[in-house]
Amino acid sequence: MIVQKPRVLVLTGDGINCEIETAQAFRMARFDTDIRHLNDLIHEGVRLDDLSKNYAVLALPGGFSFGDDLTSGKVLALKLVHRLGWDLSTFAARGGLVIGICNGFQALIRMGIFGSDVSITHNHHGKFLNTWVKVTPTGGRCVWLKGLGTVDLPIRHGEGRIMIASGRRAEAFDKMERLGVTCLRYEGNPNGSEDRLAGLCDVTGRIFGLMPHPEAFVRWTSHPEWTSQSARASAPGQGLAVFENAFLEANAK
Amino acid sequence: MFARIEVAVRPDLLDSPAQGILRRIELANPALRRKLRWARMLDIYWIDILVTREELIPAMGEVCWDPVLQWMFTGNLMPSAAGKTGGLQDLMQLAPFRPGSFWGIERRFRPGVTDNRGRTLLEAFEIVLGKKLPQARAASGGLFLLEGTELDDEILANLAREVFCNELIETWTVVPEDGLKKNDRFHQERIKYDLPKVLGGGAIRSFSPSSSSLFPDSSFGRPETLVLDSLSDSQLEDLSQRKLWALSLLEMKAVRDHFSSPEEKGKRQGLGLTDPTDVEMEVIAQTWSEHCKHKIFNAKISYRGAKNNGNSYEPAIPSEINGLFKSTISGTTAELPKPWLISVFDDNAGICALDEEDAFCIKVETHNSPSALDPYGGALTGIVGVNRDILGCGYGAKPIFNTNVFCVAPPDYSQDLPDRLLHPRRILDGVRRGVEHGGNQSGIPTVNGALVFDNRYLGKPLVYCGTGGLMPRKIQNERCEVKKVDVGDRIYMVGGRIGKDGIHGATFSSLALDESSPLSAVQLGDPLTQKRAADFLLEARDLGLYRAITDNGAGGLSSSVGEMALLSGGASIDVILAKTKYSGLKPFELVISESQERMTVAVPPEKQHDFLALAERRAVEVSDLGEFTNTGRFEIAYAGQIVASLDLQFLHGGVPRLELKAEWKSPPAGVTSVGSVAIENTPESLRSFELLAADILLGLMSRPNIASKEWLIRQYDHEVQGMSVVKPLHTAFAGTPSSWSGPNDAGVVKPKPFSDIGLAVGCGINPKLSDIDPFIMAQSAVDEAVRNVLCVGAEFGQRESVLALVDNFCWPDPVGDPLKCGWLVRACYGLRDAALALSAPLVSGKDSMKNDFRGKRNGQPISISVPPTLLMTAVARVADIKFARTADFKTVGDWIYLLGPSELGLLGSEFLDLHSDFSEIPLRVGTPLWNVARRLYSWIGGTQGKQQNKLKSLHDVSDGGVLVAVAECLLARGWGATLTLPPERNAWELAWGEGFHTFIASLSDEEGVGVEAEWRELGIPFIRLGKVEPHDRFEVLLEGSPSDRSLLRLPIQKLRSAWLKEGYWE
Repeated sequence: MIVQKPRVLVLTGDGINCEIETAQAFRMARFDTDIRHLNDLIHEGVRLDDLSKNYAVLALPGGFSFGDDLTSGKVLALKLVHRLGWDLSTFAARGGLVIGICNGFQALIRMGIFGSDVSITHNHHGKFLNTWVKVTPTGGRCVWLKGLGTVDLPIRHGEGRIMIASGRRAEAFDKMERLGVTCLRYEGNPNGSEDRLAGLCDVTGRIFGLMPHPEAFVRWTSHPEWTSQSARASAPGQGLAVFENAFLEANAK
Repeated sequence: MFARIEVAVRPDLLDSPAQGILRRIELANPALRRKLRWARMLDIYWIDILVTREELIPAMGEVCWDPVLQWMFTGNLMPSAAGKTGGLQDLMQLAPFRPGSFWGIERRFRPGVTDNRGRTLLEAFEIVLGKKLPQARAASGGLFLLEGTELDDEILANLAREVFCNELIETWTVVPEDGLKKNDRFHQERIKYDLPKVLGGGAIRSFSPSSSSLFPDSSFGRPETLVLDSLSDSQLEDLSQRKLWALSLLEMKAVRDHFSSPEEKGKRQGLGLTDPTDVEMEVIAQTWSEHCKHKIFNAKISYRGAKNNGNSYEPAIPSEINGLFKSTISGTTAELPKPWLISVFDDNAGICALDEEDAFCIKVETHNSPSALDPYGGALTGIVGVNRDILGCGYGAKPIFNTNVFCVAPPDYSQDLPDRLLHPRRILDGVRRGVEHGGNQSGIPTVNGALVFDNRYLGKPLVYCGTGGLMPRKIQNERCEVKKVDVGDRIYMVGGRIGKDGIHGATFSSLALDESSPLSAVQLGDPLTQKRAADFLLEARDLGLYRAITDNGAGGLSSSVGEMALLSGGASIDVILAKTKYSGLKPFELVISESQERMTVAVPPEKQHDFLALAERRAVEVSDLGEFTNTGRFEIAYAGQIVASLDLQFLHGGVPRLELKAEWKSPPAGVTSVGSVAIENTPESLRSFELLAADILLGLMSRPNIASKEWLIRQYDHEVQGMSVVKPLHTAFAGTPSSWSGPNDAGVVKPKPFSDIGLAVGCGINPKLSDIDPFIMAQSAVDEAVRNVLCVGAEFGQRESVLALVDNFCWPDPVGDPLKCGWLVRACYGLRDAALALSAPLVSGKDSMKNDFRGKRNGQPISISVPPTLLMTAVARVADIKFARTADFKTVGDWIYLLGPSELGLLGSEFLDLHSDFSEIPLRVGTPLWNVARRLYSWIGGTQGKQQNKLKSLHDVSDGGVLVAVAECLLARGWGATLTLPPERNAWELAWGEGFHTFIASLSDEEGVGVEAEWRELGIPFIRLGKVEPHDRFEVLLEGSPSDRSLLRLPIQKLRSAWLKEGYWE
């Protein structure tokens, strides 16, 4: 009997640039993957129903879609909403999983997936920053983070500072906490993000976005300290667990 | 309708862009910064879109406004978008100082300058409005709103010029407070006026290829003809200079003779051509430019060496050199036949086999002249330009890493600047941003680089940009390096459009920079357009939709089509078919413009349909310009009328050979090399060493050439593509408050997901030694580049070991200056000597020969030439990335070794730059010992990484010498070390000297004894210096009896802060 593996749709085009390593991470977690250009999906008229039927996971990889012009992720979000018209909440409600990494996360925020009171902007120090951080899951809502402890991951962004609408900050934040939306936090704060937030999920826990790059730590030899622990040179990296969680979830269905 | 949109960060939120500008003001002009009390940075957009108000207003909100973060002002279109008045007054009222004194500086691009945000804005409106907007226009700009005391028009004008704008590409207006409060800038007529328009030369008409009458004005597009026959020598020279052709008299005469030969006249008559047209002259000038033809490297040179007066290493250099390129570059590689060399020196990049399936390619370019005028645009186009070399290499490769090396004057340069030169801090900031945007936005990791400081880079900064690529060795059943074009293949231009930007780039870079350097030489890059084109082309490659590819770099279409025409034997294009940014471009401008993001491909006619369909789907613009022929000529038409017909043989082979004289006078004071005779430690010299050592070490750690570059490195994405193995920095306690990073010697990436094979990339550059002898300088650059890749785990010394070198010469003009030419000769022979000694073939290279500035400072003439600078880039295979290494000491108790001959001298050292009056001991220079080097390097890089794995860390001894190198290995973990120097070695030379083949290594206690025995047996020199200690001090002792003598004792924390040099960089 041939068991079909769950499939992941990895978006590319318009300046997205992490599609290959993102697809590779999903493959290491035993998924089948398709890397598809946004324009092809638009051209073929792929609808939400087609997406739900064919794919267990939708991945929005990192990159510089539209050159980060008019703020990061903005025009990609407009294109997803206006040209593809996919309602990601419905996709999730039907059992689909969505991940947005870095620029993909910024686009999810601009699409309003995490509510209209949250946004993301320039790091408080005003610079692009490539460094490694420790992040810890909080709240337990996000299915992508199940069972994860503190993990090391790289960040590589100029606009990773999560912001909550200043006029309604307290109630908006409380609501997000209550719903489990605030699902991943930094140790320390590399970009001035609200309450050290590194990632958010929707109320179902199935749509997940984060600034750090889990796909960039799927083998231990990516870690900046790996040469001090050379016995682990063949070990998988800590980011792989995120993709493996998705596999467990997709198969549990 | 027209609209002006102003977007501000909400007043209660931190405005990071404004803070960034304030910081730049503080660095450039601290007194001015103190006058500024408050600042906000607004994005400004001007649009002209033919839709109704009702459609436009909601779309504007959706496209431009984030209500959580921003306020938006649109005049009266969306009055409710901000606070009370919906205008700037709302912001100003919330400034902390009231009643304040407010000013604005508004900047916008000059007409025709690439405006990426404007382009994206239109795309966003198309997405939201759900329709194409072919007639719409959009532009982006910025408004710097500030409040402060004692400000006036003049101060703000200076601020605009010095910090806020680059006047080559932007214009600015100072707006006083009452102007800010008025709303007239939102009026339709005013916006219409503010939108940048390009005014072409003479004929401004919009025409499309489909319109029936292309020439409302029939004279437009007709080329100018140039009668050369009747011109005197000086008139020929004048003409070349006036037209910026950079052709010498000899070359002008060769052109004249060619066009007046009866044979050529006969051929041209049939085409309706007589004297050469401006298009033809421009194509010849581009093709024959130093930039494209490397005339100096091909010149015949007579060289006269110096009598050997006391210098102990005088090399053998012939007195008649039949082209430096042939004798010392390609000739050297020919003597090193390696099974893994696939294509060297005849493509856009060198191609080498990585394994049975894949090949890698490597190219390093310089972009010095454009970066001197506009550092941001120059560096950005430098990096995306060299990316295109890789895309256009062989059948087309995927860029997988970038490298960059900048040579600039120190950022704290405080003397008056010559006219038109930018302050080094501005240069550094601009090139940093350029590479950041070019590399990060393209999704290519920046894995290696260097910064070199010297006052002589004030006249021309050197900006080296390198890219490595990967491609399958077989593509479409063809070997990856094969470039083939068939007669009848269509010629397509892919990617960007043509504008006036970058006209005369190739010939301009072949001239010295002076006050009248042309503005059109400046280009801005558009990484998104290039990324789209690159993705499309790699997809088209794998589908077999094109047959051959090359990039449009220097010389534009004249070079790309002109060179590809050699593959079929001719080409015929009509340049009116090329997509342009605006109308009104003359035929010659279309041919030689260096507008960015363009590739040229040969598409077989039967593949055209699929090629066009894919391009359309990928939103990539392509233009069908014509076809490849076998007529032996490069024919260019404009709307069907022939404007150029050039004999290909003449075009590519007709340039007269240059003859140069070169001379070498002995180095400053009869340089002696260190050799094996040690200078004795006298009691006095030890006392003064002891007294000064701590200050010297701290001083060296904070030399700009040595100090931490973490501030720069972390602004580059060095990990995208998921291949990172060894990063530019090693880090201890990553992600925690005690996280600290130290330097690595080179980068390692893992290019293939299912193989543990790695690629190491490192560089060597040591211009200081040029002042002593460029021969040693070049040897040193090669040795350093090789040592750097060895440090991170490169293989070496086996038959199959892959180690390739790339050379990049940046020289002061050697034409007509025998001394400078002599330096060049010596550097080339030094390079050859080192490459042969280490059996490392050169696979690619580039030279930039006009790195001089002539201008005025305070009304006085001044000329500045860069020191002769050779960048060597080494790319080597790492057999198994699990055995890659970093420079940091890993464990307390590990032994620290000085590995290698350690014949280190003070001449050409950082120490001597710091203490130029030093006279305690004689000054000597380190020279190579290639036999020892081969034994040592083969041990380090041999036997498939098994022996390599015993070394727990390896770091090369370079700038600053041994103690600086040891300190760099300690910084990250913060542990201490105690070193004991052997008394028979001179303490000054051993501590601060620099030289060849020497490393700092560490071994575990268990491995130490066995490895030492191996080294002794193999004749590899080493000194066991000491141990990594659990304390936090760096101690240096001199071995003695009855007890050791302490020479230096410093807390690691002090070394760390000296090395960080916080507040100096940005």
